Amino acid sequence: MTKAQVLVVGAGLAGVGAAVELARAGQPVLVADRAPRAGGAIHRQPLPGRAAISSHAARWDRLIAEAQALPIDWAFETKFAGLDHTGTALLSGATNRLMRPAALVLALGAREAVRPRTGWTLPNVTTAGALQIELKTQGLAPQGRVLLAGNGPLLIAVAAQMTRLGNPPVAIVESAAPFAHPLHSLALPLSYLREAAGYMATLIRARVPILTRAEVVAIRAEGTALSVRVETPKGPRVFTVDRVGLHDGIRKNDGGVTACAAVPVLALGDCAEVLGARAALASGRAGGIALARALTNGTPRETVPSTTLVRERAAQQRLARIYAHDAMARLADLPGGTVICRCEGGTLDDLRALGPTPRVRELRLLGRFGMGPCQGRSCGEWVARASADDPGLPPPDTPLGRARWPLAPIAIADLIAATSDTGAAPLPSEGT
Amino acid sequence: MDDLGRYDAIVLGAGVIGASTAWHLVQAGLSVALVDAEGPAAAASGASDGAVSVASKKPGPLARLATASLLYTRNLAADGPLMHGYHPRPTYIFGSGPAEGAAIDALIAKLDALGDAVRLRRDGAADLLPGTGASVERLVELTGEGHMPGYVAVAGYLRDPRIVKIWPARVRGLEETDAGVIVDLGTRRLHASRVIAALGVSTTTLFPQMPVIPRAGQLFVTDRGAPGALPGALTSAAYLLAKTTDMTALPRPPVVIDPLSTGQYLIGSTREDHADPGRVDFATLQKLMTRAAETWPALRNRRVIRAFAGVRAAVSDGLPIVGLAPGSTRVTLATGFEGDGICLSAVIGREVARMAADEAPTPALSGDLAALAPTRFTALQEGAA
Ligand SMILES: Cc1cc2nc3c(=O)[nH]c(=O)nc-3n(C[C@H](O)[C@H](O)[C@H](O)COP(=O)(O)OP(=O)(O)OC[C@H]3O[C@@H](n4cnc5c(N)ncnc54)[C@H](O)[C@@H]3O)c2cc1C
Repeated sequence: MTKAQVLVVGAGLAGVGAAVELARAGQPVLVADRAPRAGGAIHRQPLPGRAAISSHAARWDRLIAEAQALPIDWAFETKFAGLDHTGTALLSGATNRLMRPAALVLALGAREAVRPRTGWTLPNVTTAGALQIELKTQGLAPQGRVLLAGNGPLLIAVAAQMTRLGNPPVAIVESAAPFAHPLHSLALPLSYLREAAGYMATLIRARVPILTRAEVVAIRAEGTALSVRVETPKGPRVFTVDRVGLHDGIRKNDGGVTACAAVPVLALGDCAEVLGARAALASGRAGGIALARALTNGTPRETVPSTTLVRERAAQQRLARIYAHDAMARLADLPGGTVICRCEGGTLDDLRALGPTPRVRELRLLGRFGMGPCQGRSCGEWVARASADDPGLPPPDTPLGRARWPLAPIAIADLIAATSDTGAAPLPSEGT
Repeated sequence: MDDLGRYDAIVLGAGVIGASTAWHLVQAGLSVALVDAEGPAAAASGASDGAVSVASKKPGPLARLATASLLYTRNLAADGPLMHGYHPRPTYIFGSGPAEGAAIDALIAKLDALGDAVRLRRDGAADLLPGTGASVERLVELTGEGHMPGYVAVAGYLRDPRIVKIWPARVRGLEETDAGVIVDLGTRRLHASRVIAALGVSTTTLFPQMPVIPRAGQLFVTDRGAPGALPGALTSAAYLLAKTTDMTALPRPPVVIDPLSTGQYLIGSTREDHADPGRVDFATLQKLMTRAAETWPALRNRRVIRAFAGVRAAVSDGLPIVGLAPGSTRVTLATGFEGDGICLSAVIGREVARMAADEAPTPALSGDLAALAPTRFTALQEGAA
């Protein structure tokens, strides 16, 4: 029998970093990613024939050259549906396969959060991250008048990238006041400052307005355009644009894998803790080394203390303070008809109709929150914050119950086509 | 200990059986508290399909009680608490191969003997229902049955404001005295003249002598699509056999394809001897879905968005447990409904409420209800001693 593969899900810095170290140590590895090419969030590669928008391209080129020299199997355009309690994983898409991996490495990257606002579900309102994917895969700036709004350093990065490609955004609307903390900022690692200074120089040169302590309070469709009402400390403003990119930070993303004694599961990179690119690569490599050692020796995994992780954690905490704001409270003031669960169209009124302290079962069965394809991964935070006394407090980890597989919807035709190399028992395993 | 008051009756467990019982008790004018460790529909009733079906019941007391419950459910849906809960619709039973064919013949004979609440409308092959796959050799259409999601039924019963709802509150113990029953909730307690325990699979935590065993079933939900293509559930004859046959001896996977009002499909189900709602596996999903999509090919264009298991409360002899707890004059048990509790809940709630009010059961049902008495197990134990 051939040795079972380690399944690495996600071909970003953490996933490829782990795959390289596993393969180098002699472990058979399969890397699956729903994207058509390796790269992940930061090194997302352009579609064939499109120009590459590269930052830190050298780092990626080195890593991918290392990977290509090793015996690693790849499955692109393939979604990981989850790991079940028997230790079986399901891949579906271009590759359809039920497999029993020797171990599972989750390197899914972070999840982008977008806080509900009036009009946030209109067409042409997307996440800022989606605009960035478009930019990186097409090699072009998203076209038309674009407004970026929300919270966090990604807004400035996307704005600068758009500017360099010739279409600066109309404005950036930022909930926090990041420039009000020069001392905090100066304590950031030099690499952060250098990157931020580069983006800022681009934006200042192009005179892109950055409104701080400002909020998009309503987006309305006006013909084919969007009218965006913004509240700023200096009074209200209205922008007429073609597209809006919203972004309220990123969140870890490791739910939905059933605990299974038979298969070690390791979450690496941003999906386990949002620490950015440098940490993702370091955590991927360290995790790969530790996992390979554990699989070879049959010993438990030792955690390697990493100076990179410690440094990046401190830097992220500083960034979080610089970007702190109190705009979560606005959730409580939204009109009752505002959608908070996009999958099922559940509104704030639907949530309030469940009474002051609904139980998880009531939220799900009667309110239908968390019952759509995302299973509450996106809306859980907003349901929890909107029903909390203080929406600013961190919400519980699984406000709509424990996340379960599938991590993403499974096309039934793909499921039926899946080959099985698990030697699974015929249905069902027991019953008397 | 805090005293939370005194009631004519306290119902333990806000599943569909407890909710129906509480509703029937307040209609009779009793003061009623309903207690649950978590909240309404927290266990089997919130994790099940909702077939109100006579076809799937074992012949004998269960099939007769299910018939009575179906007729009564229709009444409660006309202008009562199940108004938004119950929807009549056709039932389709399909099969391929001799074993499933024989099961369908047996079903037709059983329905004949039960009167005309559920009738055979058509008996044929795949062409009887447009959209059915060619692998279906035999297909019959029944009329008279319907669908009722458990949690919607629970919500319907609980809309009566006279039911005092107490949750989350886990019952730690019961103490029966000459004056009544004390319900121990840890730091608080309640008093009642009568207690009804409708605790589902948790029955054994308070009544360890009752042979209630967990039997899990996996369920899968698809994304939404245009509703109405499939007018009623498509149930494999193997699923009927699964109620009496070892899973491993079934001729084909025991598939049920249930079209939900949302335009989603619910696909089930298995019978597994454990109590872990987290045990849902890809191999089972693939086997059930392969047969489901052969039977109803439109499923091939859908996606699975949710997977879960519900845990049924089964009983060693295959019959529910309804009646006074052994040795008690004030505590009534109503549990062990395995895969039939949604269907039976209307009649069981009514009859258990009568028992708790010291009224005789509905005469036509008294024999079948007597077969469910918990004392059948004490008799066994004494006989064995
Ligand atoms: C997969 C599946 C499919 C099914 N399909 C159908 C179908 O199509 N048709 C049908 O008729 N039936 C079906 N059933 C069966 C049906 O769901 C059950 O028979 C029914 O829900 C049982 O209801 P119940 O009230 O007895 O128990 P439950 O719904 O389990 O309620 C028990 C309640 O007691 C509470 N409780 C437990 N211990 C304590 C304590 N110590 N203190 C306080 N509260 C406590 C629990 O929190 C729970 O709310 C299915 C079941 C499953 C699992």
